[in-house]
Amino acid sequence: MFSNLLEQLIAETTLTSLCHFVPELALSATIVVLLLLRLCWSIDRWIPAYVTALAGALVALGFSGFQLLNLLDGRGELSSARVEVNGGETSLRVASDVQTVRIVSGASDEVAINPGEIIVTVSGGDGAASVGAVLTFLNGDAAQKTLKESGQRLCAVMLAGSAETKLPKDGISATLESHQHFGGLLVFDQFGAFVRGLLALFLVLMIALTVLTGIPDAEDGPDFYTLLFGATIGMMLMASANHLLIFFLGIEMASVPSYVMVGFLKGRRESSEAAFKYVVYGAGAAGVMLYGISLLCGLLGTASIPEVSVQLGAMLSGDGFSTAEARTALLAVLMVFVGLAFKLSLVPFHFWCPDAFEGASAEVAGFLSVASKGAAFALLVRFSLALTGGIEVASDTLAGVGVAIGVIAALTVTFGNLAAYGQSNIKRLLAYSTIAHAGYMLMAVSALIVIQAAGSGVAGFDVAGNSERCVEGLLFYLFVYLFMNLGAFAVVALIRNETFSEDIDSYNGIGWECPVLCSCMAICMFSLVGLPPFGGFWGKLVIFASLFQAGHIHWFLWVLLVIAGLNTVFSLFYYVRVLKAMFIRPRAEGARRVDILPSMGNYALLIAIPVLLLGLLPNSVTELARTVSRALFE
Amino acid sequence: MTEIPLNSVLWVGAILFVCGVICMTTKRNGIGVLMGVELVLNGANINFVAFSRYGKLGLDGQVIALFVIVLAAAEAAVAIAIALNFYNNHLTIDVDQGDTLRG
Repeated sequence: MFSNLLEQLIAETTLTSLCHFVPELALSATIVVLLLLRLCWSIDRWIPAYVTALAGALVALGFSGFQLLNLLDGRGELSSARVEVNGGETSLRVASDVQTVRIVSGASDEVAINPGEIIVTVSGGDGAASVGAVLTFLNGDAAQKTLKESGQRLCAVMLAGSAETKLPKDGISATLESHQHFGGLLVFDQFGAFVRGLLALFLVLMIALTVLTGIPDAEDGPDFYTLLFGATIGMMLMASANHLLIFFLGIEMASVPSYVMVGFLKGRRESSEAAFKYVVYGAGAAGVMLYGISLLCGLLGTASIPEVSVQLGAMLSGDGFSTAEARTALLAVLMVFVGLAFKLSLVPFHFWCPDAFEGASAEVAGFLSVASKGAAFALLVRFSLALTGGIEVASDTLAGVGVAIGVIAALTVTFGNLAAYGQSNIKRLLAYSTIAHAGYMLMAVSALIVIQAAGSGVAGFDVAGNSERCVEGLLFYLFVYLFMNLGAFAVVALIRNETFSEDIDSYNGIGWECPVLCSCMAICMFSLVGLPPFGGFWGKLVIFASLFQAGHIHWFLWVLLVIAGLNTVFSLFYYVRVLKAMFIRPRAEGARRVDILPSMGNYALLIAIPVLLLGLLPNSVTELARTVSRALFE
Repeated sequence: MTEIPLNSVLWVGAILFVCGVICMTTKRNGIGVLMGVELVLNGANINFVAFSRYGKLGLDGQVIALFVIVLAAAEAAVAIAIALNFYNNHLTIDVDQGDTLRG
C-alpha cells in the first residue's frame, strides 16, 4: 500500500508538476554545471563562468516567458474537472473561465456553458466510449491549450479506471486540481508566472552587467553566480508559495546567499561590516517570523495557505479579535509581517538597508534592491489575500490591519525621502530611495487589504475590480522599477570602474565626458521621481488611482494619497542633486578623463530605453498586468 | 504515566523564544546574537512538534521542524563565515564596533 502511494506520488510529481517549474530546474541545473566545471575539470579557466551562467539564465527566461504566454493564451485555466456517469448519461464538468467552445467532433449531445463551468453531457452507449469521445472533443479544441492538456490527463485517468472496473453505473468522479502542485506546496498561476518571468529577466540583465563591470573576477565567478542563482530560485519559490513551509524556506533561500553576496568584496572593511550587520539582523527577523508561523500553523491546524485563509475567516467571523485564539492569531500574523517588513526594508525595520547597500558592490545592491523586493511583494500579496480571503462579511478589524500597513507605508515613504537628502554616497542615496519606493508599493497592498476586508460593506463598491486595480498597479510598478532602478545602479557601477569612487561629489562635470551613461541616469532618475513621460509616472498613477478608490471605504487612504503625492514632489530634489553634479557643476581640476567603452553605453541604453518606452506606450504592459491580476481574483 | 498537557510544552517554546529575543537584543558579541537566533528557531521548532503531537497539524509540523533544523545549520555556517570575515577586518566581533557605515 505504501509503495502504491509512493508510486502515485512520483507519477504525479514527474508527469504533471515538474513541467510547470522548468525555470527553477534550469537554474538549479546551471548551478550544478557551474560547480562541476570548476571542481572536476577546471574548465572555467578556458570557458568563463559567465558564459554558463548567461546560458542558464537565458534558458530560464525563455521557459518562464513561454509558460506565461501559454497561460495567457489558454485563458481557460482549469480549476477542476469532474466526470459523472449516471445511468446511460455521462457528463463532464469542467470548471474554467472559457467563454466559448468550438465543437470539433460531434460526439456530444449537449454542451452547456455556464459562467465559470462547462458541462458536456453524453447520453446512451458505453460509458467509457462516451467519455473518450467527450475528451476527444475537448482535445480537438485547439485554442485551449491548458484545457487540452488537462483533458488528456483526465482521459488517462478514465481509461485506467475503465480497464479494471468497466465504469460503475452509479457515478464515478475524478477531480483534478490543476494549479496546485507537489501536494499543495507550490501553486502555478499567472501571478506567479509573471513575477517569475520578471525575476528571470532581471537575472539575465544582472549577469550581463557583471560581465561588463567584472565584479566577480575570473577566480570567483562560479561562486558568485552560484549564490546569485540560488537566491533567484528562492525568490521564484517565494512567488509561487502555497504553503507556510515554502513561504519560510523561500525567504531563507533568498536571504542566505544574499548575506554572502553583500560580503563578497573580500578584505574590504565596509563590505565585511555590511554583511555582518545584514546577517545578524536578517537571522533575527527570520527567527521571529518562524515563531509567528509556528503559532499560526498550530492555532489553525494547517500550514497550507488556502486552508489558513479559510480557517482564519472562520475564526474571525464571530466576534473579530475578541477571543484569546483570535488575538494570538493576530500576534502571529504580526510576527510574520515583521519578517516580510525586514525583507522589504520598511520603517522601522529598514536600518540594515543603507549599510548593506553601501558596503556591497553596486551590482549586488541593485540585485537586493529589485529582485528581493519584487519577490517579497509577491509573497506579501499572497499572504494578504490569504488573510482576507476567508471572511464572509465586511470586517472592520481586518480593515484596521490594512490601515496600520498604510501608516507604515506613509512612514516608510516619508523617512526614505527625508533621509536621502543628506547623503553624500550615491549607493546610500539609492538605498534610501529604495526604501521610499517600497513604501509606495506597500500603499497598494494597504489599499488591497482594506478593499478586500471591508469593501463588501459599502454599497455599490466593485470589490473584485478595485482589488484587481491594486495588484495591477503593483505589478506594473515592479516592472518599471526593474528597469529604472537597475539602470541607476548599473550606471553607478560602470562609473565606479572609471573614477573608483561612489561619492556624489566625484560625479561633478562627468555628464559631458560620458553623455550616454549620464543621460541614461537622468532618464532613470526622472522615472524614479515619477515625471511624465517616463514609465515611473504610470506606475505611480495606477497606484494612486487604487488609493483613491480605496478611500471610499476608509478615509485614511485619502490621507495616504496626499502623503504619497507630497513625497513625490519632495523626492524630486535629491534626485536632481545628482543630475546637477553630473551636468552643471564643473569637473575638478586635473581629474582623470572618464572614458567608457561603447558596449557599456549600449548596455545603459538597453535599460533606459524600456523606461522611456513604458512611459510613452504603457498599454501593452498594463494590459498584461491587468490580465494577470484578474486571474488572481477569479 | 500522565500525559503532559499541550500548554506546558508551548510554555517551554515561549520561554526559549523570549530568552532568544533577550539574547539577541542585549548581547554585544556577534556570536552571542547568533546563539540567540538559534534559541528562537528552536523555540519555534518545539511549537511545531507540539502542535503536530497534540493539535491538528499532523505530520506537517514534524516535517517543518526537520527543514528548520537543516536551515538553521546552513544559516549558522554562513553567519559564522561572515563573522570570521568581520573579525579579520576589525579584530573584534563586537557588533557595536562596526560603525564605519552610518548616516
